Amino acid sequence: MVAAAGSPSHDRGDYVERMRRFKSMLLLRSFEAALLRQAKPGFQLLSRGEEAVAVGVCAALERRDPLLCSGRSIGTALARGMAPGPLLAELIGKDGGPNRGRAGRAHVSMPSIGFFGAHGVVGGNLPVAAGVAFAQQQLATGAVTCCLFGDGACGAGVLHETLNIAALWHLPLVLICTNNGYAVSTPVHEALAPVRLTDLAAPYRIPTASIDGADVDAVAGHTAQSVADTRAGRGPCFLELRCERLATHSNLTREERAAAELDRLHERDPLLLYERRLRSEGLQEDALWSQMRAEVEREVDAAERFAEAAAWPDGEQALLDV
Amino acid sequence: MSKVFFREALARAISEEMEREPRLFLLGQDIAGHGGSYAETRGLFERFGPARVRNTPVAEAMTVGFAAGAAAAGLRAMAFITYLDFLMLGLDALVNYAAKLRFKSAGQLTAPIVVKATAGAKGQGPTHAQSIESWLMNVPGLTVLAPSNPGDAYGLLKTALRAPGPVVFIDHKKLFPQGGVVPEREELIPIGSAAVRRAGRHLTLVAHSYMSVLALEAAKLLAAQGIEAEVIDLRSLWPIDWEALTGSVRHTGHLLTVEEGQVVCGVGAEIAFGLRERVPELRVARLGARRAPVAASPVLEAYTIPDAQAIVGAAHELLRRAANGQSTNG
Repeated sequence: MVAAAGSPSHDRGDYVERMRRFKSMLLLRSFEAALLRQAKPGFQLLSRGEEAVAVGVCAALERRDPLLCSGRSIGTALARGMAPGPLLAELIGKDGGPNRGRAGRAHVSMPSIGFFGAHGVVGGNLPVAAGVAFAQQQLATGAVTCCLFGDGACGAGVLHETLNIAALWHLPLVLICTNNGYAVSTPVHEALAPVRLTDLAAPYRIPTASIDGADVDAVAGHTAQSVADTRAGRGPCFLELRCERLATHSNLTREERAAAELDRLHERDPLLLYERRLRSEGLQEDALWSQMRAEVEREVDAAERFAEAAAWPDGEQALLDV
Repeated sequence: MSKVFFREALARAISEEMEREPRLFLLGQDIAGHGGSYAETRGLFERFGPARVRNTPVAEAMTVGFAAGAAAAGLRAMAFITYLDFLMLGLDALVNYAAKLRFKSAGQLTAPIVVKATAGAKGQGPTHAQSIESWLMNVPGLTVLAPSNPGDAYGLLKTALRAPGPVVFIDHKKLFPQGGVVPEREELIPIGSAAVRRAGRHLTLVAHSYMSVLALEAAKLLAAQGIEAEVIDLRSLWPIDWEALTGSVRHTGHLLTVEEGQVVCGVGAEIAFGLRERVPELRVARLGARRAPVAASPVLEAYTIPDAQAIVGAAHELLRRAANGQSTNG
């Protein structure tokens, strides 16, 4: 049996892939810190605490698989392979971004790398993703479309409409709910009647799984399995990834959670957990870790320099591509 | 030229375009075996099969978003929304996604979709009757078409189905039983071109969709009274054919806009303002529905929506006030 892309076996290749995953998560964390250091960082929804979701999901996808996500997009875009410099330029509104500063964090896209784009309307990308999956089906590309959305979108009617059509038309679509426990300030239990979010997909007979979204290997492994099933023609899947939002909803939002709760949530920091695991499994050489951190810092420094040097768009560019 | 019903003109345009473009598919309620609410897709399911002519559940939000996603990923889609009132359920995907996609992706993605919806009051009450096309004119990135006869419907729909999109194509319940001529051979009508339906020198009537039919009726009544009205059928609500409109009002000096929807921020308000910017001495008036929802009762509906007599009355009022040097803003 061929191992799925996201579930490395325990050999040398496994070790390389695991270090890559850690480094990728570290890049997301450091990149967002650099973003907040900008003179005008803008309105940003950070992925801090949800790095394992972005990195794990992207590890399970092929380049041809279109990925769509919510407005909490920064980690997803980086993990999908968007270069940090242009992404940073996009996030602060410069012409050097992939969307020339028009999209920003909530709408950034780069279809050439399989990143079909973020969407700033909660749940808005769900039916779009179904349509993208339908195009893959009709054009027989063999690609699997993947859509990330938050627990907030589970209260939106369009999720039902999307689950229904995906099941009915047997679409090659993997729906992934990132359940970070809150829609801005509203906890899941105050917003959603179902205790288990996977129950939402049950009436449509869509296979589901609820996974620890702080465990990058678990995310990668389960997503790879779902993607493989869907690619094999078994129809859509629904995954719930349980994770913690370690930052406030946005960089401009007040923190609504108590300090004790935040302390508890930080125990579920995916970088902390993964480093602990890799060290316990033998990756203990400090030089290895410090080298990795230095490489990430250099990459983030270069991104900051790129964004700094990037030109602002001319005002008239606001009228292009309307 | 051959004489056909409005619905047949639509079916022919779609059929020819599906033949020409294998990536074009249709989705919407009751469009497959049933052949469309107004029989406007009759025969297409039989001809092109279930892969390309797809019935959807009652789910307009999904339908429009799905169409946009499929189109952005390489297909072309025509989505059928039974009544224009129901497009409100799909406006998020249309306005927030499809209309902005080319812009927000810096030209990397675009959504070549046509969303067809049926407007107009015809005895079906408050939420099966609205003409809200002026809302759509407000959205950068949307093309809005509203033909008034089978020939225009045929030529415009064909153009729309080849356009980069997104296009909203609005027809009207009262147009479906109307006959008209379509060319024997393929003919496309460019987006953004109005049509002069009748020449006249005293005032210009500007209308679209079914109101163009009534405006022509009104022009005949006015002619019997010695008033020569020029009738312009917009056909395309966005973009607007300012050249044709300006040319007409320059020689008539008087403009009466006629629409079935509300006049507040309506089609006529935009046309009148745009023309006054171009022709400052122009005398303008506007006519549209009275400010109330459309009732189910035929008596109440008729009271709310303008008819040919109301257009005649408004034309007289405009000319009388202009002659007396009074304000003419409708």
